[in-house]
This record gives sequence, C-alpha cells and structure tokens, in this order.
Amino acid sequence: MNSKNRRKGMIWALLIIMVAGLLSGCASEEPQVAGEPITITFWHNYDAGAGQQEVLNALIEEFQAENPGVVIDPLYLEWSALKNNVVAGATTRMLPDVLRGDIGFVPLFQSLNVLVEMDTSFDDYAKAAETIMDAPNSTAARGEHFYGLAANTNTKILYYNKDLVSTPPANLAEMWDIAEEISNDDVTGFVEAWMGGWNLCQYIWSNGGDVLSPDYSTAEGYINSPIAIDVIQRMADLHEAGAFNGPSIDPGAPGDTDGMGTGKYAMTIDGPWKAKDFATKYPDLNIGTMQMPAGDADSIGVLGGENFMMFESSDDAHKQAAWEFIKFMTAKDAQIEMAKVGQMPVNREALNSQEALDAMPLLPIFAEALETCRTRPVIPQWGDVSGIINTKATEAVLGLKPVKTALDEAAKEIDALLAK
Amino acid sequence: MAESIKRKTKRQDPRLLILLFPGILMMGLFTFYPIIKMFIMSFFDWKIGFNQQSLFVGFQNYRDVFADPIARRSLVNTLYYLILTVPAQIILGLCVALLIVRITRFSVTYRLLYYLPVITSWVVVALLFRYIFSNDGLLNYFLADVIHLTNGSVGWLSSRWPAMTATAFLGIWKGIGWNMVIFLAALQAIPKQYYEAADIDGVNNWQRFRYITLPGIRGTLLFALVMLIIGAFNTYTPIAVMTEGNPAHQTEVVLTWMYTQTFDSLKLGYSAALSFIVTSMNIVIAVFLFRAFKAK
Repeated sequence: MNSKNRRKGMIWALLIIMVAGLLSGCASEEPQVAGEPITITFWHNYDAGAGQQEVLNALIEEFQAENPGVVIDPLYLEWSALKNNVVAGATTRMLPDVLRGDIGFVPLFQSLNVLVEMDTSFDDYAKAAETIMDAPNSTAARGEHFYGLAANTNTKILYYNKDLVSTPPANLAEMWDIAEEISNDDVTGFVEAWMGGWNLCQYIWSNGGDVLSPDYSTAEGYINSPIAIDVIQRMADLHEAGAFNGPSIDPGAPGDTDGMGTGKYAMTIDGPWKAKDFATKYPDLNIGTMQMPAGDADSIGVLGGENFMMFESSDDAHKQAAWEFIKFMTAKDAQIEMAKVGQMPVNREALNSQEALDAMPLLPIFAEALETCRTRPVIPQWGDVSGIINTKATEAVLGLKPVKTALDEAAKEIDALLAK
Repeated sequence: MAESIKRKTKRQDPRLLILLFPGILMMGLFTFYPIIKMFIMSFFDWKIGFNQQSLFVGFQNYRDVFADPIARRSLVNTLYYLILTVPAQIILGLCVALLIVRITRFSVTYRLLYYLPVITSWVVVALLFRYIFSNDGLLNYFLADVIHLTNGSVGWLSSRWPAMTATAFLGIWKGIGWNMVIFLAALQAIPKQYYEAADIDGVNNWQRFRYITLPGIRGTLLFALVMLIIGAFNTYTPIAVMTEGNPAHQTEVVLTWMYTQTFDSLKLGYSAALSFIVTSMNIVIAVFLFRAFKAK
C-alpha cells in the first residue's frame, strides 16, 4: 500500500470512528445485568406546590426499602408535556415504565398501541382491582380489557363565596338565577374555566341530556338536542348580562382561582384541588361548598382522576417491577398519605379511613358526588370531541353564532371525527 | 496545512471531507432529513405508535388545510401580525439606529438599553404584556384612573383584532433592538465621503437619507425584511401565553394551530401540509422581495 492509499485508508477509518461515535449516543438501553438493580422510569404530574412530590419521594423511599432490587426514577411533567412526551415516544419507543396521568390518556395511548394490557399480563390484577372502587377503575378499561389501574379519583362540587352568595342554590336553575342577581360591574356571578366536555357535560347530563349517543357513534341529536341548546342558551344570556365568564371565553378576564379569591367571581364548580388552592393562596376567603346543584334529572358530575399505566416498550423484568410499584401506590397506606396532600383515594379501605377523612374535610361531599357522577366517553377521539364542544359553545356564548347553529356544527364535526 | 489545502482543488484533497463531515452530517440529520420526511408525511394520514400503518392520501391533507376555517383564520391572523410588526420594527429600528449612530457619549449604554428586550425571555415579557393588556391590567388602569379616557373596562384580549394588535405590540417592542443593531452596522459601513460630498452640494437631511443612506443599506433592508417576515410566520409564544388562541380559536396563528393539531389531535400529516403551505408562502414572498430589490 503506497502512502496515498494509506492516507486515504486512515481518513476513511477516521470517518467511520466519527460516525460510530455520533451514533453511539442513539444506542438503546444496555441490557439488564444479573444482580444489578432495576431502574423504573416513572413519569407523573403530582403537584409540587401542593406537597405531593414530597409525599411521593417518601413513598418511593419506602418502596425501595421494601424492594432492594428496584430503583424508582421519577420525572415530573405537567399535563400536556406528559401527553406530548408519550406521543413522541410512541414513535421512538422512548417511553417510561410507569406513568400516572389523566384518565383520558388511557383510550388515547391505547389507540397508539403502546399500553400494556394489564389484566392479562398480571395474574394478580383482578385481586389488586378488587381493592379499588369500580367507577374510577372503569376508566382504565377499553373493550373487555384493562390498560391501567386507577391512581386517584375526583369529581366536582360547587364552591361559592359566602360574602356574595347568602343562600346556596337549591338547584341548577336557581344557581344561574343567583349568578344573574348578584352580578354587577365588580362581580361576575359564575366562572367556568373552560367550555369543553369536562366543564359542560355536567350541566347537560344533570338536565337529562347527553353529548354523544350511548354507543358513542354519533353526536347528532345529542350535543344539539333541545336540552343542550337550553343549557348553552342560558350561559349565553348570562354572559350577555355579565353574569358568566371565564379565561377561555375572555382571555383578558382573571383566572378562576384568582377571580374567586379576589371576589370578582362568586361561584364555580370544580374539583378537590380548588379547596387546596383557595386555602393556600386566599386563606381569608369565606368559601362555602356543596354538591353540584341538581338539574331537571339529577346532580350528575363528571368523573375525573388519574390512572397508572404501563408501556409495551419495557422488558418483562421492568414490567414486573413496575407492577409491584403500582400495587404499592394503590395500597391503603400510600393512598392515605396522598389523601393528606389532596389526592382522593381510590382504595376502598383508604377512602373509608378516619385518617383520610381527617386529611380531607371535604371527602364526604366528594364521596357523595362520586356516587352519581359519570365518566366521559372512553374513546380515543374524546380530546378532539371536547375541543369541538369548547369551540362551538364559546362561539355561541360570545354571540358569534346562534346557539342552535353552533351546536349543529358541533354535531356535524364530531360525527365526522367519530366516523374515522 | 491551510496552504496545502489551498494548493489542491476540493476534489483532490480528502481532508476537506473530514473537516466538513460533522457539519454536513448534522445539517443532514437535523435539517434536511426532517424537511424531506415532513414533506413525505404531508401526503400520508400519518400514524404514530407501535405497529401502526400510515395511509397514502395524496393531496387530502392540503385540501383539509384549505377547507379548515380555523387554519384559514390562523393564516389571516399571521398576516395581520406580519403587516403590523414588520414595517413598524424596521421603521422604529432604523430611526433608533439613525439617532444612535451620531451619538458619541453613552452610545454603548443606549445600544444596550434598546437591545435588552431582544435578550429578555419571550415567556417572561409575554406574561408581562398579558398583565398590561388584561381587563384589570395596567393599560386599563392608566386609561381610566390616570388620564380618565375610558371607564376601565376595555377588553383588549377579549376579542380577535384587539388581542392580535396587543400581541403585535409585544412583537414590535421586542424586535426594535435587533433591527437597531442590524441597521447600525449597515449605517456605519456607508463611506463618510458620500455625506461630506453631499454637505458640499448643500443637500438637506431628507435628501441625505433618501439618496445616500437608503441606497447604502438596501442589502441590509432586504435581509431584515426577509428575516422579519420569516419571524412573523414563526410567531408562537406571544399567542400561546397571552391568549392561548382563545376565545374559540379567534386568535390562533399558524404555529399555534399547527402545534394544537400535532400534539392535541395527532394530525401529523395535516400539520406537515400546513407547514409546507407556510414554507411555500415564505419562499414566494422572499423571491418576490429579492427580485423587487434587484430590479431597483
């Protein structure tokens, strides 16, 4: 080999080394070596401000002490980042071993084929699920199988400023009347943070209507039914009278927590976290609570909460360790600890314990509300359906379109989405 | 070594390849590959997730974008933002540069002060502007309680055009400093002799600006125009923070709508098509500007 060829050879060798060096960063996880601890990646959105992450860290330490071969590596991601990272990871297969996220994520992630079918993967799933309330755990089901285990649950109740609302409303119609009566230049009677399914379903359901057909095949005749039209029309009338507003209807308006805290809003319907928000930010606020007032049919709130989910990208050893962690987090002790920082337990024993009751004074009101609340449609398109409801209902409330026209358009758009 | 490379042509010396390789690889991986991939995606109903099959749909995504009223509205809003921010940034940035170029004392301080908004976080200033323009914000307080011009209940962020105008104010305020620096460099590059000759001929200030300064910074003007137009099409944070596209997508711009469609609705093919439509608009505008400036 002459010197020119040798030099060329060296150059190519250098290039290959450089490429190898660059690509080594993309290499997948090293295989598990026997005897080494298993590291479980855990993505969650436990709220640091409410002290939930401190409790989580203590629980993780306890779990690790009980399971010496397992290390939990938690990563906080806020709601949308949690979803977006899974969406991105669904392509790259860079997913966590366990995720604790919104119950609405289950149908969405399952439609991406990334979730572990937990009831068939673990022999003791049924035994673990028995300790959990049926309604929250039903949100982890798709068809006949379960793709998660309920982590915590919630629904919504009415919060009202006692200085502005002297007598709490007896029903929904009265709630709207009070909102109108007490509104003036400084006070808006009622605040709704958003206008999507999470916020509007409760009014339509409580008046005997629905947003989709029972088999989730169509919205025609449901979201644009006379009941739904009446609900939105009342909101539009109230908005025109200055008695109904919110940050999504008016981006310049105060947020719901700050508006309630400063007496600009008089009433809102929201979850258990709101009590914690008011207590932390506005301790002097004279707040009253009660079950969401009943409509013509009943008081039917929306079931919320979070589930634990696992991903197909994990190997068997990680899956087994992750499952043990999920069982630990849904057991009575961990659930009571989380109740102390505002997480409503799903574990039956924890929910009925005196310790949880002491930690969450509003637990009896929420427990009563949970008995009549409903889950949102468990379909992968729900996020988009909810977005369409938000857009069309807001257009109607702002008077950009007549209510019937807006809801007819919503039905048409939702049906096009469901048909895909 | 530099001499040795210089002596040979690029084809002859393979060492050039080693020097260029990391840059070419990075550009290929992180610029050209994603662009090509996204172009391909725009013709598919692109699925993500394990074992998912993406279907070829031809131009359907492009048809969906043109049929989507929110996409059309977001394009109009983006153009409105562009029309408000681009000329204002150039005129104000140039004015500041013209004032500062003559200052000898504290010129660095002035430059720093005007440049500060550029290096300030978009999110932080967008939050500040949100507070200024909110219903109970500083602007309403000033108009009602200080100069008694309104009753203090103007909803600057409550509806489409006032909200878009408020976000444009943020864009203008934040962009003046960048334009100032660019134009300052261009102004300093104009030979002083031209101005001296003009003085001898007895021209006035406007004539100096019209016939010496403006032609002298023409190239920079073109550069600033193209960059600002691309920047206006890429605006995201002011909207995301100040209005979140609310109410009812009335204040959506192309990037916020693209983000929503990608991550909330998982319509990746649709978003890829929208991004290529926007890119095409950028190219057409840039080509038109290059030709217009060349013709002169």
